[in-house]
Amino acid sequence: MSLIPSRWYIHLLLWLACFIIGLPLIYAIIVATQTNAEVLSFNFSFGTALERNWDAVMNVRKLGNYMLNSTAQALIVTIGKTVLSLLAGLAFVYFRFPGKWLVFGFVLVTLMMPTEILIIALFRFVSSLGWGDNFLAITVPFLASATGAFLFRQHFANLPAELSEAAQLDGANPLQFLFRVLIPISWNTIGALAVIQFVYVWNMYLWPLLIIRDERIQVVQVGLGALRNVDASLTYGPLMLAAVVASVPPVIVFILLQRQFLSGFAITRDK
Amino acid sequence: MIRKSMLLLLALAFSVIAVAPALAQNPIEVKVWIAFTDGRLDWAREKAAAFNQQFPQYNVIIEGYDNYETLFASTALAFENNTQPSVVQYFEAATQNALDAKTASGEPQFKPIFEALAGREEVNGIRADFDDIVPAVRNYYTIDGQFASMPWNTSSAIMFSNANMLEAAGVESIPDTWAGIEEACAKIMAMENAPAHCITWPNHGWFFEQSVAQQGAELVNNGNGRQARATETFIASDAAIAFVSWWKSMQDKGYYVYTGAQRDWTGTYNAFIAQNVAFLIYSSSDTTLITKDAREAGFEAVASFMPHNGDVEYVGNLIGGATLWLTNGLSKEAEDAALTFLLWFSNTENAAEWHQVTGYIPIRTSAVELLEAQGWYEENPNSRVASAQLAAAKPSSATAGALVGGFPAIRNVVTTAIENILVNNADVVETLKAAQQDANRILEEYNLLNG
Amino acid sequence: MNVPIMAMAAAVGAAYMAWVFRQMQRPFWWGLGLGALTGTLGSLLFMTPLDFCTFEPERKPMDNALGVLLVLAGVAIVSYPTGWLARYFLARGEDRKALRGEQVKGAFNAPFFVPLLLLAPTLVILALFLYYPALDLFRLSTLLARLGTPRTAFRCVDNFSRLLDPNFTIVTLGLLIAALVILAVMWFLRRRGDVFRNDVYRTLSSVLPIVLLFLLLSATLDLFEANYRSVVFSTFYIAGWTVSLGLVIGLAVAYLAFQPVKGASIYRTLLIWPYAVSPAIAGIIFFVMFDPVGGIINHVLGQLGLGQPQWLKDPWLARWTIIIASVWKTLGYNILFYIAGLQNIANDLLEAAAIDGANAWQRFYHVVLPGLSPITFFLVITNITYAFFELFGTVDFLTRGGPAGSTSIMIYEIYTRGIIEFDIGRAAAQSIILFIMVIGVTIFQFRTSGRSVSYGA
Repeated sequence: MSLIPSRWYIHLLLWLACFIIGLPLIYAIIVATQTNAEVLSFNFSFGTALERNWDAVMNVRKLGNYMLNSTAQALIVTIGKTVLSLLAGLAFVYFRFPGKWLVFGFVLVTLMMPTEILIIALFRFVSSLGWGDNFLAITVPFLASATGAFLFRQHFANLPAELSEAAQLDGANPLQFLFRVLIPISWNTIGALAVIQFVYVWNMYLWPLLIIRDERIQVVQVGLGALRNVDASLTYGPLMLAAVVASVPPVIVFILLQRQFLSGFAITRDK
Repeated sequence: MIRKSMLLLLALAFSVIAVAPALAQNPIEVKVWIAFTDGRLDWAREKAAAFNQQFPQYNVIIEGYDNYETLFASTALAFENNTQPSVVQYFEAATQNALDAKTASGEPQFKPIFEALAGREEVNGIRADFDDIVPAVRNYYTIDGQFASMPWNTSSAIMFSNANMLEAAGVESIPDTWAGIEEACAKIMAMENAPAHCITWPNHGWFFEQSVAQQGAELVNNGNGRQARATETFIASDAAIAFVSWWKSMQDKGYYVYTGAQRDWTGTYNAFIAQNVAFLIYSSSDTTLITKDAREAGFEAVASFMPHNGDVEYVGNLIGGATLWLTNGLSKEAEDAALTFLLWFSNTENAAEWHQVTGYIPIRTSAVELLEAQGWYEENPNSRVASAQLAAAKPSSATAGALVGGFPAIRNVVTTAIENILVNNADVVETLKAAQQDANRILEEYNLLNG
Repeated sequence: MNVPIMAMAAAVGAAYMAWVFRQMQRPFWWGLGLGALTGTLGSLLFMTPLDFCTFEPERKPMDNALGVLLVLAGVAIVSYPTGWLARYFLARGEDRKALRGEQVKGAFNAPFFVPLLLLAPTLVILALFLYYPALDLFRLSTLLARLGTPRTAFRCVDNFSRLLDPNFTIVTLGLLIAALVILAVMWFLRRRGDVFRNDVYRTLSSVLPIVLLFLLLSATLDLFEANYRSVVFSTFYIAGWTVSLGLVIGLAVAYLAFQPVKGASIYRTLLIWPYAVSPAIAGIIFFVMFDPVGGIINHVLGQLGLGQPQWLKDPWLARWTIIIASVWKTLGYNILFYIAGLQNIANDLLEAAAIDGANAWQRFYHVVLPGLSPITFFLVITNITYAFFELFGTVDFLTRGGPAGSTSIMIYEIYTRGIIEFDIGRAAAQSIILFIMVIGVTIFQFRTSGRSVSYGA
């Protein structure tokens, strides 16, 4: 059923909304192809400098290398956190053990500790581990989180108890149960966590800015900073090109998994 | 199955960790961090490539940082987790910090060049000739007569004028005092097609320091920190108040334009090239580029001394720029590799070329002679100004420049205060007095931990 | 050791615990004894590492006050969980089960170490990379410590008291009076009888939370000294506008996109993608768009004869540039969740309302909005988190905290103090102030989301 009768009206408004939201990106893409002179003459068509800008971004400033590092970082954290969160969810839902509420509280309290607040102390600690300029520093601290553990805990808790009872009758051990029963019916939740994590890690800026200085393992968000002044006559183009290119992976991951992203949040299922 | 493939994927992902920092071990690596990401970075990399060819046993790698402040902070962080390079470019304000800085285990972070040389006249056949360094540089960077760091890029604050605009406005000679600038600005702004504003310069503590020195005043006590460790700052001195008051009055009259950000080198530069202002007070570091860009934009940029307060005696300007510091704790071979590069990098030919591509002064007398012989100054009169201004300075503690701990943080206090005056119309005297208190506290805390 | 302070703490603890025991219908003097113990321990929680330095004779009243607050916080941290435990053990069998929470069905019969083994990696990482740094932060906040200087000096609570200068402004006073007046009128109306059909009462009861919120924000601002106050103000200002504009626009667009039209999923995709763009890249793109020389915004405004606002030069405009960038960046996320929320509101509910003769606006106001309140609440929290922390990247690329510190939000200030100016102690103290705010928001979140927010469904 339709609440508003005139549909062309909705189409128009939607087009307008899409256009306004897309404007920064459209502008960025156009500028990415232009020289500074073309930018300053406000010619809103594709310019002539795409190749030069590409060269500046990829060869002079090695954006590809930063992208590779970010990809590796995002994959490691996403996969690692999914695995650890699955294990934690399994332990919370399918086991009785003394002090469970204490462990639960221990994990729960970390919801109040965003990494950003701890940045000064975290820097000192990770430095003292000797992880400066090491890939470990931008992966290991992010392998576990309360969000992930609770996401699976909630998901598992909503599943019927018969599942595990049947599995136990079949003589499955907890890990077999996890991999054969739980994971195959949890892809939506796994997908949701994966999107959140991939986007979160890919977009991470403050922490790598502090802990990584070796260009060879620097991530893309920080690497973008090096594009602010490449050459006096080419300031805007390469910067915008890099911004667009660096946004492609997370946007694609997000668009492909948007359905999972939503369904992972209990909010859409419960009242 | 799923489990195995998951584990495989995980193992694959983690193997990236092992691969990423894998290094080629053979040539001795010399990491050099500099505070440039523009053409100057490219120039340094070209030189490093040439050096690596000449000395195949070494591999110099140059990495660029956005600016001095970022590099300074990044280096401090790097020392915290032992990832510092072999050589770091520290700006002049970081000199005292570099001398005092220690690692977590209490070792000095840097090794003075003279200590590393240990009396050697040459390393790997590259001569270490410090008598050749020009006096202005020597006065600033020598501590007890010896170089702790290797001079590289030295500049001074000078003024660039849009000669075409001055001519159109009927300004006959380039003004050299504050009052002169105001007069010229009145004429320029009265023109029919007047620019949006008359003058600009970055809100950088360095210009403040230049002006204080011009008026013969010190920035900190104890002979500008050169007789003994400075314990007090004079940020609200009469000279300072005079300069900032003049600055503010220029803004109030619509002559000076603030670009809206501290240390905004790009914005002020663009304003001058776009002919939005007639005058630009800037670092001599970009003399070559400004002259060229102005010509391409269709006007003539003429360099001159930084204008001074005509009401008091003009004492002279001081230097700016940075030197290259050698980090401590390198192996003997790595240290010699770094030393070789430092000496080679600042040899006569490189010093002369560096001056030509940028506008930093030639730091060697021999380089000046080389440039004279090539007729460089005849063709590029603008390039002479910075050296001449430094040579004209009367030697004194004021023009030697301040040596003070926590200087970068103190500079931040100064630029923040000035921004507050420019943007929020805060009272000049009160704001500077508050800034002086803040700066004194920074210094007091610095001395407590480092004294 | 500071006996009077510890005695005070013991008394507070004893009073609280006696109350708990009374509630559980047990002899309250047991509570007195237990409470005196937890109170004393609580006072030592912060004061042992500080060595009661806040009460030394040469300390200023501000330090004494902070000391008392710390002691009380310590008492609360020790006594409250103890009280909870006491309640649990004093409760009878059935209630005890209720307190313990859900029972597990279908649990595996495994030795106790199996689940702990499964949890171990998570727990170890949380302990090392969150708990340990959090504790270290408290230690650092009491020190004069600088990067590049291994030597440190103990500074008691100086790093905190330097940020504080309570000074209650007229705004706070006005809000306080307004809140009291509203409460008084509501109380008066209530005494007169049935208030649920009274429009004045209903309006007042919906205005009250807003007044209280502003009162809380204003009073928080008033605590700090001028420089830090402006940092906190910018944080609140930018966060407040980001959240409210983001939600209103997000809902409006979502309401459009939720309509069943052809190509709805394509529209949806074209609307939500900015979520995946990083805050840093949003900063870069808006930096170029708002550039006074080459930016498109001022070019278009100039063409339309609307002048050339100096976006990054004027403190207020700079804040708005940040707000615009962050609204754009969070819009996709808000739209996505609002579409999902709208789909959840049963169609028949809307149909029923339509049959009742409600017009579109009434349907929206009385059916849709209340139905969306859980999602709105969720989005408010996530948007606040975004504006407080992730905005760092946008600020760093767009304004670097300027002009004149007007866009230096709290997280950016921590970075400036601690990293750019090497002042670890002060940065740690600022981190803890931010920490306290996060704890406040989280506790509020738990308390509210526990109850049903929506009455519509």
